[in-house]
Amino acid sequence: MLDWLRRRGEATARKASKDGDLFDEEFQRRLEVLAIVSRRLVAGRTRAERRSKKTGAGIEFADHRQYTPGDDFRHLDWNLYARTGRLLLRLYEEEEDLSVYVLLDVSRSMAVGDPPKLDYAKRLAAALGYISLANLDRVSVVTFDSGVSGRLAPTRGKNRIFKVFEFLRPLTADGRTGTADAMKTFVTQNKRRGVAILISDLYDPEGFEGGINTLRFHKFEPYVIQVFDPAEVRPPLHGDVRLVDNETGEVREVTITPRVLERYAEAHAKYRKRIADFCTQKQVPYYPLETSVPFDEAVLDILRRGGLVG
Amino acid sequence: MELVGLSLTEVLTVLGGFAAAVTVLYLLKLRRRQVEVPFVHLWQEVLAEKQTTRLFSALKRLLSWLLALAVVAAVAFAMGDPRYAGASDEGQTTVVLIDASASMRATDVEPSRLEAGRAEVERLIEGLGPDDRMIVAQMDASTVPLTSLTGDPMLLSEGLERLAPTDVAADLSRGLRFALDVLRDRPRPRMVIVSDGVLGEGGDAARRAAEAGVELTWTKIGEGGPNVAITAFSVRRYPLDKSRSQVLVELWNPGEEDQGVELSLLGDGEPIDVQRIVVAGGERLRRFFENVSGADRTLEARLTLADGTRDAQPADDRAYARLPERRRARVQAVTAGNLYLSAALLLDEYLDVVEVSPADYPAEGRFDVTIFDGWVPPSPPDTHAIYLHPVPAEGVQGPFEVTGALERPYFDRIEHDHPLVQFTALRDVNVSAGLEVELQEGDRVIAGDEGAPLIVTGTRNDHRIVALLFDVRRSDLPLRVAWPLLLLNSIDHFVQEDAGYLSSYETGDTWHVPAPAGVESARLITPQGAESTVPIVDGRAVCTGTRAGFYTLRAGDQEDVFAANLGPSDEAIVEPAEQLSIGGVDAAPPTIGRAGVRTEIWTMLVLGVLAALLLEWFTYHRRITV
Repeated sequence: MLDWLRRRGEATARKASKDGDLFDEEFQRRLEVLAIVSRRLVAGRTRAERRSKKTGAGIEFADHRQYTPGDDFRHLDWNLYARTGRLLLRLYEEEEDLSVYVLLDVSRSMAVGDPPKLDYAKRLAAALGYISLANLDRVSVVTFDSGVSGRLAPTRGKNRIFKVFEFLRPLTADGRTGTADAMKTFVTQNKRRGVAILISDLYDPEGFEGGINTLRFHKFEPYVIQVFDPAEVRPPLHGDVRLVDNETGEVREVTITPRVLERYAEAHAKYRKRIADFCTQKQVPYYPLETSVPFDEAVLDILRRGGLVG
Repeated sequence: MELVGLSLTEVLTVLGGFAAAVTVLYLLKLRRRQVEVPFVHLWQEVLAEKQTTRLFSALKRLLSWLLALAVVAAVAFAMGDPRYAGASDEGQTTVVLIDASASMRATDVEPSRLEAGRAEVERLIEGLGPDDRMIVAQMDASTVPLTSLTGDPMLLSEGLERLAPTDVAADLSRGLRFALDVLRDRPRPRMVIVSDGVLGEGGDAARRAAEAGVELTWTKIGEGGPNVAITAFSVRRYPLDKSRSQVLVELWNPGEEDQGVELSLLGDGEPIDVQRIVVAGGERLRRFFENVSGADRTLEARLTLADGTRDAQPADDRAYARLPERRRARVQAVTAGNLYLSAALLLDEYLDVVEVSPADYPAEGRFDVTIFDGWVPPSPPDTHAIYLHPVPAEGVQGPFEVTGALERPYFDRIEHDHPLVQFTALRDVNVSAGLEVELQEGDRVIAGDEGAPLIVTGTRNDHRIVALLFDVRRSDLPLRVAWPLLLLNSIDHFVQEDAGYLSSYETGDTWHVPAPAGVESARLITPQGAESTVPIVDGRAVCTGTRAGFYTLRAGDQEDVFAANLGPSDEAIVEPAEQLSIGGVDAAPPTIGRAGVRTEIWTMLVLGVLAALLLEWFTYHRRITV
């Protein structure tokens, strides 16, 4: 199943990048599969308190979902089973549902890569959003560069995923990265605490730490997903070049040699380690993702490592 | 070291100009490729380290600049065409006479003497100094320059390519005269003869060469080996049976040891006879092949050693001959009845004879020859004619004006070489009476008494005539073999099938080949297929050739084939001479220029430049210098 997901994911990414529609039918089918697989992955595992909040506690019917071994079959909809022969579980709205905020970096540095990191991040955001919606979480998508540049109001229910698509589809990468200021704005605008999934390349001249700390200090539960293109680690450059920062416009002249490329790869690894060390220290889950990894495989990997959804 | 191309000043000017341009280009700030990156801060650490390598970069840049200057310097120097100064003494003028006679086709040295000679001349060309001049000439029956007098080795080598073998004897005298003409008033004259040395004395030209102060040198070619040559090859049809021929072959073994050979005869390209013969050392062996049939047009003799291998000289192992064409001649015999005449004409099956009485003359049809037996027509015929005892009737203009009679004339004077009387014995023929006639201008007496002609040829009414100025019936000529032979020779003479037909010509001679009347030029095609136009003078094409084989003469719409052979000469002697003496002066081996004297340094400089550019390309594309 995972191999199939990987193969399909690579093919879909290439096709979507060419066609221009990131959220085509193929993508949506894969989201559905992802939602099912994600439930199987977390089934039988010790779940956080959040699970008990989702089913059984409320009285208001919210949605159906496929029965999975391990589910409490007191919630099976027998009437539906009699009519359709399918085992579906009745889900109820909780008293206090979970808010999931997907914080998507749309600064200009996210335009780099083939496919661009922003496209990858959009699909990632959509996938995580869908899984959360499928679990009756309240999902909001917030975009930021040097400040908050867009916001999808919190929404709930699996069928609201199309609103998420519509929100993500027109986004373009522009502006400078300013995570700290953007997070300050975000926490001011969103009083309801919840999970804050930060999807960014974390290329912030002012430092990535301020933004994450802001989320922590305001009782959000931050998750950090860093996306980067393989070519950023080992750029296909040689000879005398003039490097221009595509956000700040800063210029550096350098003669690229194999040795220089090696040193740069080391610097990049060092930067990622700095982020990882910081997150570990602050007990913030951190997921570095290369855009060459299919997005659904990346999502499943995140789920396996636990904590983010389910 | 000296510069043959641009002068030193020009070289330095070019070098200075280009070096300045290269330096200016290097001083220009490098325009770097612009690349957008997402986070330039990550490069900071790398760039901090790069500061330490800036010195190395500067050094690399300096090395690159120096390399460019070296390339410019090498190219500028190459334009000067530098040569070693040691090679530049006073220039020498050399005439190379390369022997292309038949003996140089010998294969005692691989692949042949001519090729070995060519290689020797190449060595001489390579050894030319910068001021030396040379001309290369092919010496055979004539001497033909292959190049102009030049110091350019490439032109000399190109000219040498035109050297071609021949089947003629070399004429040293002509070669020497040519060389002396070229070397007159030239500095340091030198003559190099590339030959096997079998060239003869050279006559007066050799004496002049020895006295002219010319350095006479000889490059000896050849080692010697066994050889048997065909020195004569001739064929003739039997006069009375032209379907068969008699062939004469003469073989010569110039060596000391006996040689067993296999002699093959080919008629029209097909083998018709093979004989094994032993030719003793120094022997000239004549062998006749009698009653040879199966050949209609061409005959070829081929010689190999008895073991099937070729001897050292292939040029004289083949000989060619052309058989006279057998043509059916139409003869009109105007006679009141002559049994001797009728019988003689019956002997040649290729004659269509029509007999008519003088009263019925002329018979219907076209004829090649008309024989008038004791009768003269009122007007000359429009054919060739044989007059027997031509006494015209009164009032008739005959071919001759008869002025009297001769009693018992004798054949005192006979032109034995004339084809009319070939193979005949006339001296003791008895004639009771002959005619005393007035000859006309152009008439030629073939045989006759001291005071009067008996057999005369000439031209009347644009046709040839033969006249026997006696009555054959009043002589014992009809009782002899000479009578039909004389008649048939005459007819053959008219229809170009004369007994004096040449079965082959000798290479190097001037040939006079019978050609159709009324044509001024003809195309001559050599055995190698080369074509040329030759003039026709007095009914014969005047031409020559240097290769043995079958030639084709195309005149108008007629085409004829004739053969040419290497004539009798010393070309069969394949032992090279021990010493070549010219005018009493022994020719010494030539001094070949110091190896490398002509080596052109500019080629090495250009190669060096290419190597440097290749290194630059490699280091750049392998990211070593960038």
